[in-house]
Amino acid sequence: MSILDVKVADVEQVTEVVKHFTLVQENGEPLPHFSGGSHVVVSMNINGRIHRNPYSLMGSTANTDSYHISVRKQENSRGGSKFMHEQVKPGTRLQITYPVNLFAISKLGHRHILIAGGIGITPFMSQIADLNRLGYDYELHYAYRSPEHGAFREQLEEMCGKRVHFYIDSKGERLDIPALLKQQPLGTHVYTCGPEPMVKALHLHAENLGWPENHVHSEEFTAPPVGDEFTVELAQSGIEVTVPGDMSMLEAMEEAGAEPPFLCRGGACGRCELEVVSCDGLIMHNDHYLSDHEKAEGRSIMPCVSRAKCSKLVVNL
Amino acid sequence: MERGYWIRSKPLYDSLVWKQKATGHVVIAQGEGGIAVLKLFQQMCPREPITLLFADDASTSKNYADIIHTLVPEGVQICDSEQAVLDKLQAQLPNYLMGTQFYVAGSEAFIWDVLAELKVYGVQDINVEKELSGTLARSVYCVHCKTTDRDVHHSIHQCSGCGRHLFVRDHFSRRLGAYMGVMVDAEEPGNIPAKEEIYP
Repeated sequence: MSILDVKVADVEQVTEVVKHFTLVQENGEPLPHFSGGSHVVVSMNINGRIHRNPYSLMGSTANTDSYHISVRKQENSRGGSKFMHEQVKPGTRLQITYPVNLFAISKLGHRHILIAGGIGITPFMSQIADLNRLGYDYELHYAYRSPEHGAFREQLEEMCGKRVHFYIDSKGERLDIPALLKQQPLGTHVYTCGPEPMVKALHLHAENLGWPENHVHSEEFTAPPVGDEFTVELAQSGIEVTVPGDMSMLEAMEEAGAEPPFLCRGGACGRCELEVVSCDGLIMHNDHYLSDHEKAEGRSIMPCVSRAKCSKLVVNL
Repeated sequence: MERGYWIRSKPLYDSLVWKQKATGHVVIAQGEGGIAVLKLFQQMCPREPITLLFADDASTSKNYADIIHTLVPEGVQICDSEQAVLDKLQAQLPNYLMGTQFYVAGSEAFIWDVLAELKVYGVQDINVEKELSGTLARSVYCVHCKTTDRDVHHSIHQCSGCGRHLFVRDHFSRRLGAYMGVMVDAEEPGNIPAKEEIYP
């Protein structure tokens, strides 16, 4: 996988829990171009263990001098967001992957409704740059917990003008998703990024109101949940790997020297899919990639976020 | 016909079935597509508003317009030509909202004429229910002179634009609503196979 060596040029505390990082290429050259909605995976060496977290690029797509990511400090962080908040300072060197886009604006759409919850605003920041450049019809609906959590509000007001609507939970302001979906003209696409219940609610309402699946887009990066320790056997090489409770299966395999494929590391893209040869217990699927049917079949696992409750899982790698 | 081989651009058509989840239904049909409409109304009718646009065609085996009038209590608009239906649809499309489900039945050329109108409003063909009725006639696009001939029943087909003898392929263009026709005797001029009626 192609890696970019970057240096932190600036760190800005945006809200109590959100920090904004400006990254530039270490060799001083411009960074690769990207499209709105792209993300990069940041590698962090935390006490000798490599953590890799996906973060949306939120700068303008016209700017390749620097990349911009924002990180929310997670309360029960496995270390990644805590590391970014506490250890990363201007001058810190990091490694990132080339940008990948799993959340692009549909060119077939005639109108675009963007719905953000909290830190889920980040992919829309770069999408809005694209939408403005292309002159597309769009609306942004941004919901957050309380006035002090409204990251980037002023910037968004400037970028979107009348197209942005804010909903502050602590003031009792709620976004009525069904009402919003009911009044959209043909050819509208809807996009959401935010907490899982919000993403689920949008998909459910859209389906019930007759929206075709291909008009509903969402991005949700899951942090690998903690679980029980289990053993993975890599069938092709015969290697046995113990996956500790606080490590993902993908990380444990990498630590053992294996090179499994990966892209988003957040259960969204499907690149790391592995064939399950056998499992003497239950697979705990945590991804958004496999269908419910495929999850029930148990023939595949997404090792970036999913794990098993078993003594031994054998995968075809 | 080669077993186990398939040109992936060739559209597949199904029988019309009401979609359970929708805020409105718009059925557009032509000629022998009348039977597909009647089959649709044999099913449990949805509660949401229904609009039916039907292009009557005197040459059909049954008088579908009359039967439809008796059977469908409201929302029926019968026109006397395909063009009139397309014009009506074009005029009404700006009023429809997301959640409207579209159904089309008739000849393949008509189906793709309707889909072209819907595409203007961002409705993707994959999200429209389609039933092919009455004929397998194809629209054929000559890759040499770019003429599209409608109602083609034979392969080999002589292009009305350039006179070349075209082999009708299964490659289908969703943009043009037509199959690709390629000169059959390009390598051996004059060696033209007999034409056969394979799209009755």
